[in-house]
Amino acid sequence: MISQPIRLEGQYFDGNQPIAVRAVLAFEGQEAILTVSQISERYFSQRLSVSPRIGGADRFINLPNGAQVQCSHHVILDSLPQESLSEGPVAWLEERWGVALIGVAIIAAILLVGYFYGLPAAAKHVTSRIPIKTEQTLGRQALDWLDNNKWFKPTTLEKDKQERIRNGFDVLRSDLPFKDRYRLEFRDSTFMGPNAMALPGGTIVITDDMVKAAESQEEVLAILAHEIGHVELRHSLRSILQNSAVAVVAATVTSDAASLSIAVAGLPVLLAQTKYSREFETEADDYAFKLLKKRNYSPAAFASIMERLAEKQEGKKRSLSFISTHPVTEDRVKRARAAAQQ
Amino acid sequence: MAWKCPTCGEVNHSDSMLRCTCGYELDDSVIESTKVTLCPGCLEHNYVDQDSCKKCGLNLKLYRSNPYFDMSSLYEPNSGMTRPSRELPLEFNGSAREYFRIWIVNLCLTLLTAGIFSAWAKVRKKRYFYSHTMLDGTPFQYLGRPLPILKGRVIAATAFSAYYVSSHFFTEVLPYILLAGAVLAPWVIIRSAAFNARYSSFRNMTFRFDGKYLDGLKATCAWVLIPVLLVGIFFKWSGTNAVMAAAFGIFGLLFPWWIRRLKSFIIGHTSYGSKKGEFFATSGQFFKVYLSAGLIFIPVGIITVIMGSTIFSFLKDSQISLLVTAVPGYAGYVLAYAYIKSHGNNLVWNHMRLGRLRFNSTLLARGMAKLYLTNALAIIASLGLMTPWAVMRTLKYRADNLHVLLEGDLSDFHGTETSAVQAAGAELGDFFDLDLSL
Repeated sequence: MISQPIRLEGQYFDGNQPIAVRAVLAFEGQEAILTVSQISERYFSQRLSVSPRIGGADRFINLPNGAQVQCSHHVILDSLPQESLSEGPVAWLEERWGVALIGVAIIAAILLVGYFYGLPAAAKHVTSRIPIKTEQTLGRQALDWLDNNKWFKPTTLEKDKQERIRNGFDVLRSDLPFKDRYRLEFRDSTFMGPNAMALPGGTIVITDDMVKAAESQEEVLAILAHEIGHVELRHSLRSILQNSAVAVVAATVTSDAASLSIAVAGLPVLLAQTKYSREFETEADDYAFKLLKKRNYSPAAFASIMERLAEKQEGKKRSLSFISTHPVTEDRVKRARAAAQQ
Repeated sequence: MAWKCPTCGEVNHSDSMLRCTCGYELDDSVIESTKVTLCPGCLEHNYVDQDSCKKCGLNLKLYRSNPYFDMSSLYEPNSGMTRPSRELPLEFNGSAREYFRIWIVNLCLTLLTAGIFSAWAKVRKKRYFYSHTMLDGTPFQYLGRPLPILKGRVIAATAFSAYYVSSHFFTEVLPYILLAGAVLAPWVIIRSAAFNARYSSFRNMTFRFDGKYLDGLKATCAWVLIPVLLVGIFFKWSGTNAVMAAAFGIFGLLFPWWIRRLKSFIIGHTSYGSKKGEFFATSGQFFKVYLSAGLIFIPVGIITVIMGSTIFSFLKDSQISLLVTAVPGYAGYVLAYAYIKSHGNNLVWNHMRLGRLRFNSTLLARGMAKLYLTNALAIIASLGLMTPWAVMRTLKYRADNLHVLLEGDLSDFHGTETSAVQAAGAELGDFFDLDLSL
């Protein structure tokens, strides 16, 4: 049986001018015979190299004389030596719808598992190995910035009131793992209203409005216990780690979409970070309820001050955050009451 | 000699016919002012003394004053010369179904390998874009290899982590890191441009970029301003908000000027077949694009304020009304962005030249805005699965709106010893052969 000689037709580019010339490449045994404008040349087939397959696009055969032949006969092209060894298997995967479907499933699994379990667990693990001392610079800078940019003014609370709160705070933190890292700061702020925050490294700031909104020492301590929860659970570092990981993964996944529309890339990051931030609030609440009960205070104090703050805000415009970073207040109040009754 | 009838606008090609089809008779007094020339961008007939093309807005005055550009080659065919320009067909024929598989497989492998595969993914995607972009019937060829890209990504990731960690935890080091970034920025720009040019090929001839570090530093010196100012602020030379706002304001005003310098630097040092690119756009034209984009925000601002105040008075819930008022804000942003993208692209393409090749880009701001909006909606509604479709239609829209005009013959481009595709591999061992573009 005589096998049909293999013939490839394509465009020839000599590398000297960008002009296409018709060419024929015939294969006989070990040899490839190139015929271009009545001139023939012979090469060993093994000395040719073919550009990787990509979709159904034409590929290029590199000839030993530096010229190229553009051609679309993929079956023959695949039998010749390939320019890139690593891209061949990838091209094989890319051609199959079955592989694409499995790919969708794997990506969905990685993203969901990573988002709900993997990332929070990894952040917790990494955080436990980084001493809280490293966060101190960050916290000090944050407070300096807030002070210098008029977000905060010096407190106007009387000395003895401050002293009473400090004493209560000292009792709260007395035997906690990070007890020596805490610093309680009082500030007046018209912008923030009744508020309290835990800065990285153990600095807790409480605003004058918050102290005034509380009707008892127990309520102030309930708020401070919540902030202590943020510190003990290392929420600032964990949120830095989790948010940056989310941003990196989102940038990878949406890299193609990002050049089309920025909102598309930003939205998943915002949603993911909001969810983590809510989780931290819930975690800090639960920690606070336990701590309060341990010190013989009732979590109900937390419920009553949250309710009062919510009422106060009802009449005014709500905060400027589109998607609130705090869990719905009714829910928090309910959980505080439930914790108090246990 | 061709002339254009001042009453009906008809172009008459013959000397002998001094009478237009509409009946107008050409008279000696207007014979000079009715002469026409072709716009080098879109081939529209314009009067010879016009400053800019009435169809595509190309600055004809600049072309006339450019010593390299022979306007007489664009005079009308019947004046004795044959029409010098022909359009080389440019087509993007990628398919969303095919690209979807490529996208998903590469994304999956990237996630499974903790990002290492992203270098291969970049090669595969670029290869797809290049080999489905056909000029005059021949696809472009991407020659980049994964390893130099991976090397570039490792360096970029290290630099970014250094910046990120220092900006959060070790702020005393931050000014030095920013300073290093400012010094290295021109180097990053030239390495990326060189990589992209070297590994892009058309008809077995690669592009070439020969910009040097010092040229890059000169071209991008404005870019260095911000880090220097930031450094200054961190060293508390002048830590007030007013100084910072002024610094950013100045930078914002200088931005179009800087963009022009950068484009001119990149195009002027890029060559193909021994022919260097030339760029004629002026800073004024760039300022105009950015200013017009900025002006889009004025009506948007007014609408937002009116809508916002009416809704606030009807609805108690400020969150819903904020969401509603965010809509015109986002629309304004998309419009301004689409305006800059389309007009900026048109400006660059229509004012450059590569040997005997000229380009005519006809992107429309509303076309781009429509594209962005529908893409965003499709991507969100499909949880990202429509991304490949969006990429394909965007590339197709851009290719459909770019016309490549050849005046003369492609044989004017000559390959060199190092421009053939196989010579590209020779540089692989070079340590600085790396890709730093994203």
